[in-house]
Parts: sequence; structure tokens; C-alpha cells
Amino acid sequence: MKSKGFEYLKKITAVDYTDHFEVIYLVYSIKEGKDEIIKVKVPAESPEIQTVVKRYPAADWYEREMSEMFGIKITGRSAKRLLLELWNGSEYPLRKSFTWGKDYKRVD
Amino acid sequence: MAIMRINVGPIHPGTHGVLRLVVDVDGDTIKDVEPHIGFLHRGVEKLMETRMYMQNPSYTEKLDYIAPLSWDDLYVNSVEKALGVPVKEPAQYERVILLEFQRIASHLLWLGTMVNDIGQLFTIFMWCFRERAKVLKLLEDVSGSRMFYVNLRLGGFNKNPPPDFAERCHQLADYLESKITGYQDVLDADSVFMERTRKVGVLSKDDAIAHGVAGPVLRASGVQEDARRSHPYYVYDKMDFRVPVKANGDAYDRYRVRYEEMLESIRIIRQAVDAMPEGDATGMPIRLIGPQAKPDTIIMQEELPRGEGIIYMVPDKQRPYRIAMRSPAFANLAVLPKISKGQRFADLFSIIGSLDVIMAEIDR
Repeated sequence: MKSKGFEYLKKITAVDYTDHFEVIYLVYSIKEGKDEIIKVKVPAESPEIQTVVKRYPAADWYEREMSEMFGIKITGRSAKRLLLELWNGSEYPLRKSFTWGKDYKRVD
Repeated sequence: MAIMRINVGPIHPGTHGVLRLVVDVDGDTIKDVEPHIGFLHRGVEKLMETRMYMQNPSYTEKLDYIAPLSWDDLYVNSVEKALGVPVKEPAQYERVILLEFQRIASHLLWLGTMVNDIGQLFTIFMWCFRERAKVLKLLEDVSGSRMFYVNLRLGGFNKNPPPDFAERCHQLADYLESKITGYQDVLDADSVFMERTRKVGVLSKDDAIAHGVAGPVLRASGVQEDARRSHPYYVYDKMDFRVPVKANGDAYDRYRVRYEEMLESIRIIRQAVDAMPEGDATGMPIRLIGPQAKPDTIIMQEELPRGEGIIYMVPDKQRPYRIAMRSPAFANLAVLPKISKGQRFADLFSIIGSLDVIMAEIDR
């Protein structure tokens, strides 16, 4: 994507459609003022996606946040700590299967 | 000398909210910074999935409590887009006016606290707050509350502006211009301010693009990019304004970009007030999105005071199925380790100040 001139990464996020995940990349070409949305389907069972952090350094925090919120494993990059450090890695709050009202313990 | 690890925060006057930094220093030189965020995480995106559309503006406002109207407008605008509701023309002009006033208020607060952070105590801070109070008074008279307005409805506002709205906007714009132009000389003659912002936290143009920074931080590094230009919404395409761009990418340039943006906002306000047509600006209450929602995903971009904010929404009938928000302050804070390496420890706070982070929006 970057070779096509979309050099600016705006956001990486995901949507949980319960039977699969969709990882969304919003990229932008500053020169042409053009947006591009890339949607990648990821299976619900053991979701994994290749990192883009080498091409887009901006992806670092977005990938870590998405990984923590959706439990989508990012492969091909160094295992840094989680970004928000709020969930202990067994529950992923932005998944639709997330259960409300449980007593969550903060990870320190 | 051995490398020493220093913990800064989570509560620290220089960190603007609850931000913890783990800083590795060699003597006075910063070797590495690791920001730890998440102390203000409320799970806004998840909460908004469980609330109905009309309930959500009270969440979007608290994302950025310095400029609540901007996020509120972005959210309401994306619901309008999902429903296909057109915004009434007088309301479009009024929104532009209020958004620009909101931008000025936000930049004023930023300037005051930034100058305060780097040790030039209270004079500029008090001036900025004096001006900001007048802006908030106008917004209060329009909406009914001083900070959290919740006055946007589908296609317009909850009520029409007061009868002397145009006259008051002009008065306030004149007042702000006369005061804000005076800051420039004071700050440029101030050796403390210049020493602590010039060549501090330099971000090159290529790095700014690669790290995806937003708004004034991006423009201070020489990138001409403004969502009001590249993705015009409301009547911004009819307005004549300049997008200030600077080349050095240091803390001083970030100040200059915001400073010039305030003056450009005043120009936009004057044009919008003059061009604002007569007529009803009230809208409908925010209602459910029925089957009439055409596209299955909505993307809405707006230029917030801190940069380009994006809402990516997958609409459903009663509540958003998924709502993802791109926070410009999040992107700007992520670049902090990059630009503070090799700087002096004391300058870390002028760098954080110059990025204009707001933790409520970053943690969400």
C-alpha cells in the first residue's frame, strides 16, 4: 500500500462480527488527498494478523491497543507490553462475547 | 555515567492528566521514554455500543473536555451521515462559527498551560483564561451550559441562536484579535520561552508522516494537511482561510502554528457570521437509525483542535454496532519517545506541553 503513495496511516481498528473479525486500516495519501480503507478478514478462532509496523511506525500503538481490546494476535513484531495494561489477557473488552458485570481485577 | 530510570507521574503537573512516564536518563540527557497510558480508560467505545444514539453525545463530549463541542459535532455529524439527514444551512454556518470559537478556546487554554509548564508563571496563563472565559460565555449563552453543551440535534441545534448573535460574534472576534495579536511580541521577547521551545523536540517531516501525527504537530513539521481543506464539511469550502505550516518541527513552531490558527479562526468566524443566512436552525432530536441507514459503515473526518479526528461507525438500528474513534492526541503522544531522545530532562515537559495531549481522549 505504501508503494502506491499511501504513506500516512490514520488508524488501525477492528470490528467483531462474532463469526469473524475485520481488521480495518485507514491510510491516506497526503499528496493526492485520497483516503483508502483496507479491510482484512480474520477468523474468530485464534485470530492472528501480520504486523505493519515496519512500513508504518505509526502502527505501533494502534496494533498494541487492538491486540489488547480484541485479543487479535499480532505476529512478526517484538512482544512489547500491552498498551493500556488494564486487562489480564483473558478477557477482551471490545469483543461481543465480553461479559458485563464481572468483578475484574486490574493488572499492575 | 550509569543510566538512571526515573518515574514521572501518574500525577504530575506537567503531564496534563493522568500520564505516567518511565524515563531513562544519562545525566541530564534522555535516553528513552516509555509512556504508560490507560489510567483514564473508561471503555467509551464499548459503552457507546450499549447506549442509544441520542444518549451518546454525553460520552463524546467528555473525550476532550477542553473542546467538547468538536467531538460532539463529529459524532452528531456521523449520525446525520448514517441517516442521510441534511444540516440546515443557517445551522451549518452556526456550527462553523461555534466550532471555530471552540478551537480558539482550546488553543488559548493550551497556550496558557504550556507557558505555565515551562516556568513562565501565570501572566500569559491569566490572559489566556480571561479571553477563554469570554468565549465560553458566548457558547453558554448559545447552548445553555458553559462547558458541556449537548446542543446539537439532527440537522441543527436544540434552539435558535440569541437575536444579537451576529453582533456579539463580531464584538468577540474583534476583542480576541486585539488581545491575541499582543501575545506574539510578549512571547518572542521572552527569553525563557524562546530558550525552552526553540530546537526542542524536533520532529522531521518524514518522521511526522511515518508516525502519523495529527493536526498542529503535523503542520509544524511542514506538512500541509487539514481536514477542513482535504475533507471539507459544512461550509468550510466556501471560507477563505490559510492553513499555517511551519518547517522546523520544534516546540516553537507548534506554538506558532496554533497561534496563527487562532487568527485564521477569527477570519473564518467573521466570514461565516456575515454569510450566515436568516432562518430556522433547530433540528430534530437524535433518533434511532432505522432500516434507512444506507451504507454499512460510516467514516467521518473533522479537524478537531488537536488534529484530525475520525469516527468509524458500523451502524445498527438502535445503537452503534461498533464505533471506533481515531484520537489525534493518541497519535501525537505516541511520537513522544521519538522526539524526546537526546533532549534534556527538563525539556521533556515543554515537549509534552507542545504536543497538547489530552488523556481522556487518548485512553478513551
